Amino acid sequence: MAGMIQEAQMIKITNLEKFYRTEEVETIALNKLSIEIATGEFVAIMGPSGCGKSTLLNILGMLDDPDAGSYVFNDIEVAHFTERKRADLRKHNIGFVFQSFNLIDELTVFENVELPLIYTGVASAERVKRVEEVLDKMQIMHRRNHYPQQLSGGQQQRVAIARAVVNKPKLILADEPTGNLDSSNGNDVMELLTDLNEQGTTIIMVTHSEHDARYSHRIIRLLDGQSVMENIMV
Amino acid sequence: MIKNFIKIAWRNLLRHKSFSLINIAGLAIGMASAALILFWIQNEVSYDQFHTNKSRLYLAYNRAVFDGKLWCWSTTPKVMAKTLKQEYPGVEDVTRSTSANFLFTVGDKHLNVPGYFSDPGFLTMFSFPLLKGNSKTALNTVSSIVITEQLSKKLFGNDDAMGKVVRIDSVDNFTVTGVLKALPNNTRFNFEYLIPWSYLIKTEHEDEKNWGNNSVQTWVLAKPNVSEASLNKQVQNITRSHSDQKDGDVFMHPASKWRLYSEFENGKIVGGRINTVKLFGVIAMFILLIACINFMNLSTARSERRAREVGIRKVVGAQKGSLIGQFLGESILLALIAGTVALIIVQISLSGFNQLTDKQLFIPFGNVGFWLICLIFILLTGVIAGSYPAFYLSSFKPVSVLKGTFKAANALVTPRKLLVVLQFTFAIVLIICTIIVRNQMQYAQDRELGYKKDNLVYTMMMGSIEKNYKMIRSELISSGAATSVTKTSSPITQRWSDSWGYDWKGKDQSQKIDFITYNTDGDFVKTMGLKVIAGRDVDVNAYPTDSTAMLLNEAAVKVMGFNNPIGQIIKNGDSRAWHVIGVIKNFIIESPYEPVRPMIVQGPKSWFNVVHYKLNPANTTAENLKRAEGVFKKYNSEYPYEYHFADDEYARKFNDEKRTSTLASLFAGLTIFISCLGLFGLAAYMAQNRQKEISVRKVLGASVSNLTTLLSKDFLMLVLISFLIASPIAWYGMHVWLQNYTYRIHIQVWVFIAAGLLTMIIALATVSFQSIKAALTNPIKSLRSE
Repeated sequence: MAGMIQEAQMIKITNLEKFYRTEEVETIALNKLSIEIATGEFVAIMGPSGCGKSTLLNILGMLDDPDAGSYVFNDIEVAHFTERKRADLRKHNIGFVFQSFNLIDELTVFENVELPLIYTGVASAERVKRVEEVLDKMQIMHRRNHYPQQLSGGQQQRVAIARAVVNKPKLILADEPTGNLDSSNGNDVMELLTDLNEQGTTIIMVTHSEHDARYSHRIIRLLDGQSVMENIMV
Repeated sequence: MIKNFIKIAWRNLLRHKSFSLINIAGLAIGMASAALILFWIQNEVSYDQFHTNKSRLYLAYNRAVFDGKLWCWSTTPKVMAKTLKQEYPGVEDVTRSTSANFLFTVGDKHLNVPGYFSDPGFLTMFSFPLLKGNSKTALNTVSSIVITEQLSKKLFGNDDAMGKVVRIDSVDNFTVTGVLKALPNNTRFNFEYLIPWSYLIKTEHEDEKNWGNNSVQTWVLAKPNVSEASLNKQVQNITRSHSDQKDGDVFMHPASKWRLYSEFENGKIVGGRINTVKLFGVIAMFILLIACINFMNLSTARSERRAREVGIRKVVGAQKGSLIGQFLGESILLALIAGTVALIIVQISLSGFNQLTDKQLFIPFGNVGFWLICLIFILLTGVIAGSYPAFYLSSFKPVSVLKGTFKAANALVTPRKLLVVLQFTFAIVLIICTIIVRNQMQYAQDRELGYKKDNLVYTMMMGSIEKNYKMIRSELISSGAATSVTKTSSPITQRWSDSWGYDWKGKDQSQKIDFITYNTDGDFVKTMGLKVIAGRDVDVNAYPTDSTAMLLNEAAVKVMGFNNPIGQIIKNGDSRAWHVIGVIKNFIIESPYEPVRPMIVQGPKSWFNVVHYKLNPANTTAENLKRAEGVFKKYNSEYPYEYHFADDEYARKFNDEKRTSTLASLFAGLTIFISCLGLFGLAAYMAQNRQKEISVRKVLGASVSNLTTLLSKDFLMLVLISFLIASPIAWYGMHVWLQNYTYRIHIQVWVFIAAGLLTMIIALATVSFQSIKAALTNPIKSLRSE
């Protein structure tokens, strides 16, 4: 973390464990993993398929709970929160960007972006203002009344990012955000994430791409559910 | 948020048109069927509940032992009414009623109309409002008459009927003292006019005081705060304490039970129409449930499509509760559309349904309560249909659905399979019941009647027919209209009279045996086409003593214990002695489902109401009727010529069963249709979900028929399980139902096999369309997309 102003700690996981069980096999996804991430950091998580990247991201995003270990988010231990409490914490603090965009086909661009605001109970007039603001910022305002299937992949991912940031989350979790995009669109998306990070949003990104990882401050490399190496980008 | 839900629900409806269509069609048909049944039930339970005094109104019943059994009946002695009113403190008012059938004449208009004789209290005790006239005084004088607005219209057109004069049976003039609002269709009463009881007394020259002649209905209004129990306690002994009868009680049957609880067994109420009402209620519920099941199954079947949306919504902050709300909202929206369609279906089908059920049901569009009930009905349907899918869909974990590892369960027993089994179980039960009800009806219809009903016609004796009977009879034959004529006490299809007052040599005096009594003036056997077993028919021309001759049916001979019935002397209360001259083979006059009861046919020294005549087979029916009309018109010119065919009248005996059978077939058909609609949709989703498997199998060499079998057999298995569950249920239900009939079929195995096969074939046809379609798809398509 050299070269950066030391910020307050946002995430601290200690000895985190996660197993997947089927009738015959037990797979260890995370094996006593410990990581710390500071507020304002841009961290890339890399590793081969099955190393536990996505599992880690899901736990960090409070979509899943660990089987053992501790997860402190903004000084709150959340490892054993109920689903309801996690959902509550999540919607106010965390935005998600997926490889396959995950927009709702039946909703327009505007409505997709508006969705998180509806669930956090923002008033209608305020929602319009904020959605327009963020669409403007993502340069897809002209597409506001289109449906996802009418957009290119790059545009869809911009909408997805707009949706992730509209609630002004402190943390954005991105799961291979450029995986379904060509290199030009991919670069655009990475620029957007970098901008967001520069404005103060913490970003944790799972990626296979060394190129994308270079946008981050730090790369955490996982193998078999354990952190095997950290590269600090200069 | 609600707006967002509605928006997405609406777009989902439009996007998945076939899903929406199947669901809306199924729900609309289900809701319309349930609504029709509910209208019918509402009409049934509302019978005579509009009387202001309904909680205090009773009908007097007798209860006594005959043939070792306790019987209840609602005809009472004429004298009972006056006695109740004068001597019993719990009684506020009493009115009698008995049917009247007069020819009305106004100017040159002649109308034959049914009505009632009644005491003046009739109009104040019951709530039949008068449009004109005073209900307290309208029936006070012997020559007053109260008519309904319809009769007023028929007799006087648009003129005011009040004070106008009508002539009755060409004998007496009556002045209209009241015009009644048309009777509602939910009343047991059926009359077009009320004539004062005093007129009956005038024509009979006395108000009969005989406690042994039960001939009229006695309606009682209890004083306020007098309970049914205390009233019954007061009146129980009334017959015994006012006559020399040693047994028999009287009890009061309350207005709340007239319609639905009027079947008695061994002196106790055992139900009545309420059983049908309950049965229909259950059917309505099941049909609606079956339609809801379609929605549940199709919604959960396409869960893989909705799962991603659930995942995304959860990720961006949706709680489970709001997702449940969203999905429920969707099903309620669908129910709302289906409800609107259902209302249209009901409106269109109501006239047909009315014909089928013999009712005049209508949709009360102007009634706020009706719309409120509609709304509740729609909400309820939406919630029933949507609750399971809502909980199911909202429970998806975002991690698995967004990662794409989500796969809908395909366990051995899934709720979806259970629901399909439930649907088909109900459908098969209905099919089996329909077949059995039809068989039972056919069985009774095929029963040997004992007389020849073809070409047998009867005319009621009104006006001058009685007086001119001899001429009419001879001219009916001489004109070639009829080959034979007989005068009888009642139509051949109806029992109007019975009596336990007969006495004969060797009778066990401790026993009360009830006989159907029937009268004839002669030519009875020939006209009706009966079979004489011993002796001969009544023939007063050849045997003058036949005026007091009597015929017995086989059943009567048996209960009387005669070895040689011919020549036996039989007395009937009074001193008149009848002698038996013949024995006839049993014939059906009452229910075709019951054994023929003992019957006595008395000779010419009796009373008569009907002329029966056998039409001449040498002529066409139209020609015969034309000639007969000429004869009747000649001797009874003021009356319109009216006739009834015995076979039509006999067919009426099957009306109830026919109605039950038609309704059962209708609902069975609808149930199968809705179930198959669901199966069709389900098969489509299943085929879609298994497209990859199908493609792999195809590439490996599976034929289209292999694949069709593979896809169809799971569904057929469900139908087979349904059949196994349905059969014993249907068997039990029909076994109980058949106990209502002494003359009944045995339930046969083929009925079950036929119902099972029929359902299998229909289900197979439904499913195989989708299966074949899936099997014919080019495998490259689905493999490449992987």
